[in-house]
Amino acid sequence: MREMTVKVFRFDPETDEKPHFQTYLVRVNDGARVLHALHCIKEDHDPSLSYRYCCASGQCGSCAVKVNGEPVLACMEEATDGMVIEPLDLPIKRDLVVDMEPYLDQIATLVPAEECPLPTQDVVEQIKPLRSCIECLACVSVCPALKVIDFSGPTAMRESLRLALDPRDTGDRVAEAVEDGLFTCTSCQACWKVCPKDIQIPGKAIERLRALANEKGLTLPRHQTVEKLVRETGRSVDRTQETFLEQVPEVLEPYGEVKGTVGFFVGCMYNNRLPRTALDAMEVLRRNGIRVIIPREQVCCGSPLIRTGQIDYLNTLKRRNIDAFVFRGIDTVMTMCAGCGSTLKNDYDCPFRVMDINEVLTKVGIEPPARLELKATYHDPCHLMRGQGIRTQPRELISQVVDLVEMPAICCGSGGGVRSGVPEEAAALAEDRRIEIEKTGADIVISSCPFCEYHIMEHTDKPVKNITTVLLEGYREKDRRKKEKEC
Amino acid sequence: MRSFEVIDSHVLVIGSGGAGVRAAIEASFSGDTVMVSKTIAGKGGCTTMAEGGYNAVLRETDSCEDHFLDTLKGGAYLNDRELARILVNDAPGRIADLLCWGAVFDVTGECEVAQRPFGGQRFPRTCYAGDRTGHEMMMTLLDRLASTDVEVFNEIAIIDLLKDGDSVAGAVGLDEKGEIVIFRSDATVLATGGGSRIYDISTNSSSGTGDGFALGYRAGAELIDMEQVQFHPTGAVYPYDARGRLVTEAVRGEGGLLKNIEGERFMERYDPERMELSTRDVVARSIATEILEGRGTKNGGVYLDVTHLPRHQVETRLPVMLEQFLKFGVDIRDEPMEVAPTAHHIMGGLRISSGGETSVPGLYACGEVTGGVHGANRLGGNALADTQVFGRRAGESAGKARKRSISLDEGQIDLQERRLAAFYAGEVNPATVARSLQTAMWEGAGIFRTGSELEKTLEMINHLSTLNLKAANRCNLIECCTVQNMLTTASLVVRGAILRKESRGAHVRKDVTQAWDASNSPYRHTFLSLCDEGIETGVWE
Ligand SMILES: Cc1cc2nc3c(=O)[nH]c(=O)nc-3n(C[C@H](O)[C@H](O)[C@H](O)COP(=O)(O)OP(=O)(O)OC[C@H]3O[C@@H](n4cnc5c(N)ncnc54)[C@H](O)[C@@H]3O)c2cc1C
Ligand code: SF4
Ligand code: SF4
Ligand code: FES
Repeated sequence: MREMTVKVFRFDPETDEKPHFQTYLVRVNDGARVLHALHCIKEDHDPSLSYRYCCASGQCGSCAVKVNGEPVLACMEEATDGMVIEPLDLPIKRDLVVDMEPYLDQIATLVPAEECPLPTQDVVEQIKPLRSCIECLACVSVCPALKVIDFSGPTAMRESLRLALDPRDTGDRVAEAVEDGLFTCTSCQACWKVCPKDIQIPGKAIERLRALANEKGLTLPRHQTVEKLVRETGRSVDRTQETFLEQVPEVLEPYGEVKGTVGFFVGCMYNNRLPRTALDAMEVLRRNGIRVIIPREQVCCGSPLIRTGQIDYLNTLKRRNIDAFVFRGIDTVMTMCAGCGSTLKNDYDCPFRVMDINEVLTKVGIEPPARLELKATYHDPCHLMRGQGIRTQPRELISQVVDLVEMPAICCGSGGGVRSGVPEEAAALAEDRRIEIEKTGADIVISSCPFCEYHIMEHTDKPVKNITTVLLEGYREKDRRKKEKEC
Repeated sequence: MRSFEVIDSHVLVIGSGGAGVRAAIEASFSGDTVMVSKTIAGKGGCTTMAEGGYNAVLRETDSCEDHFLDTLKGGAYLNDRELARILVNDAPGRIADLLCWGAVFDVTGECEVAQRPFGGQRFPRTCYAGDRTGHEMMMTLLDRLASTDVEVFNEIAIIDLLKDGDSVAGAVGLDEKGEIVIFRSDATVLATGGGSRIYDISTNSSSGTGDGFALGYRAGAELIDMEQVQFHPTGAVYPYDARGRLVTEAVRGEGGLLKNIEGERFMERYDPERMELSTRDVVARSIATEILEGRGTKNGGVYLDVTHLPRHQVETRLPVMLEQFLKFGVDIRDEPMEVAPTAHHIMGGLRISSGGETSVPGLYACGEVTGGVHGANRLGGNALADTQVFGRRAGESAGKARKRSISLDEGQIDLQERRLAAFYAGEVNPATVARSLQTAMWEGAGIFRTGSELEKTLEMINHLSTLNLKAANRCNLIECCTVQNMLTTASLVVRGAILRKESRGAHVRKDVTQAWDASNSPYRHTFLSLCDEGIETGVWE
């Protein structure tokens, strides 16, 4: 037996004005799950506690709750001392019980044809992972899109793809999915990361549905424009100034001893829209002993096409990019755009290692910059945090130069083609970010993705800076102070 | 009497498991149908949890006669012959329905439904959707249900069946806020599933508390063979709080080996021919004996090992098992699982006709709440088939029931109100009573039984039934009713066990020596109802 304290969200709408937390001391057996801690509270302390469960074995999807802020299945997640248990972010009925039915009702149902041809083994294998959903709604509870716009949500999209693939179904699922908000998904990956069944909804369902929509000519006009631009220029955004690639030589030598060499994949945004930031990054790399090789013939990674389901031209892009680095014998390619990094790591089969700049810098260990008298908050780019699992490294770098105040990690709305395709949604999500930024009281916002930086910049009056820019400012300050001393 | 919400329908279906939804779909063709369940439809009950599969004869080389004989042999010849015959004959048709409605079962390269071997069957006839077969069926059934006019009431527990004279005419429900809801219907289908939660160690979902047995019994229905409780041989033993969680028979079907602490494949000593794929009663007793005789693991189990199988096979055929055990810190591709028997399925239940009629007019039943189909031991894969075969039949008969005008029995509703009011004045936490009951049942009416222990257990149940259960608030009322149902169900099981003075199938009486084997037993069904109880005699041919 083990003792642990558990803090539980309590709310009875009939008697309580507002929710409160209550702490209990529970005794459970070794290996007990969150559910068993709840049982213990109900049996030994407070029979009035309400929560749902049924199978107690991860199969029915009744018991999803938030533990320490993360959605989990209560029956599968191990109970830990000091844990905080809350309901999912869905309308609350009582204590930990949320109203699931309205969301379950959004999931389309199969309408069988007269003849019912069995799906082939190949189709069954494609459908099976989609069917393992237990409709726990963890994904729905974290989806940023459906909080601000009409969208049936991740699990509904999952089932729509299943229906679209199933030869027995008669509905026009792709058109319906478009109707239900297929293009409102920002590819933030939040749904996938909380799914107890590890269903990769954005990559395996939404992008596939978007590709099917593309075959049916249902791609949004603005996304088509992007595709055209990529085909014509190799870039997904047009040029407004001298590009990064036009400003740098093919090899940048470090200032001191060479600690390592990377090939640099710049990406469309840093090349065409924010070249200044990429140049700042180069300075930081050079100062820290990294030799950077920059193949000129690199093009768009293809992410804007993959995310929007326009994949015809993709293989050409992939080949050109891979060749550019392979030709120079590069074994490590560094990205600084979160989206490009996630794409190279997850959508490519690269014959070289791909590392984000935050990984590179923390791995070599940076020269300490001067501390700046600034309070900063950090916006986690979805494609960095969830797409590449990079969470601690940026923080490690930032806290060497400024004071960091955390805010919740939520999508800013710029991804998945939403910024161009559904601007009102992108703006609504950015507004939510603005509010969170305000709450932190920070002087500046730091991020590590050109899409996030560009988008948030438009919606807050605080300066938005890339991590490397802030580091560079730290170095400049250091140099200035040193010089001051010398004088 | 206060005024209540009254919901009228032609057919009322209680329970949203495989049997209930199938019945509701069928009934909806004949008139207004209402389906009510304690849980959100699709999430509650045991169908959703069923992993292994669905038995049906689909190949030229197999035959319904063989399936029938397997079912009888597995059932220790206690099966109602007509019901068993219907089960095997209708099972292929009902899986065909599911496939038409979109069920995603595994298929072979030739686009035929794939089948795997299961215990006690001479042909690999168990169809499956990975190891989430029941879930796949439920999702499919709910899809089909959505295209009917059936009205669904989620999270309402039925606490009593309404009687109009001698016949059942609906039910009294309690919603999540503790408010009474009256359902009035020409025909009522009971599809509340099983009740092995009356045991300390059980595979069942939270709704497997035997409500239907108790509701039916109180309404005057006759129940048969309630002593026949299947102990599944392989339940998880760790973590302790999740003990009993099912480790599907598919693990053995795929080639999993049972070993004791000495590494011996002990099934050789119990059933050398069928080994791990012997029937559940035999395997469960073998494991229990190994553990009792000191050849079990520290956690009180034996090993179930799939480490010799190709990793790919474990990953694709047993993904749910793999995932569950990983969560509990065991990678079954590299280490054996630890398992021990767990209370799983109640073979007994309401006596039904081939059309699902119970002994009470107006009341129909299907699924695990019924008795007779599986005799004294159910074959793995036969229960899911049962839900579809008899779900459809019960739904159809209920749909055809005569329309009638029903007068509400205010006295009965009054009685229910007083029952609920008494809970507010009670003093014992229902959870504590449930705990005591579960322990008593595990110890006194488990895998091995004796007359004297059964009598002691019955005394305990009777004592627990006299305690005044306490509801802390409105939401606890349902729990109090549930615990009362558990007590009734437990009492039915124990009384049946006392009546059956022989070992047969899942029921083992250590205090009885018998000169017959199952096929020529002088006994038939045990029966229990409000007015009578006993055991039928006579040898079946
Ligand atoms: C873990 C597990 C695995 C299994 N695997 C297999 C397998 O592989 N193959 C096989 O053939 N069989 C298997 N079985 C057995 C099989 O799943 C069940 O016998 C069968 O699904 C029962 O179906 P049902 O519709 O009768 O009841 P259930 O599916 O249990 O549904 C009962 C319904 O009744 C409702 N209910 C209960 N009480 C009330 C009340 N008072 N008021 C209102 N509603 C109520 C519940 O909410 C639920 O919706 C398994 C069982 C378990 C527990
Ligand atoms: S997709 Fe995953 S998270 Fe979403 S409802 Fe299904 S199982 Fe839950
Ligand atoms: S990727 Fe993000 S926006 Fe898209 S469905 Fe998932 S949670 Fe919602
Ligand atoms: S209780 Fe069924 S998934 Fe947790």
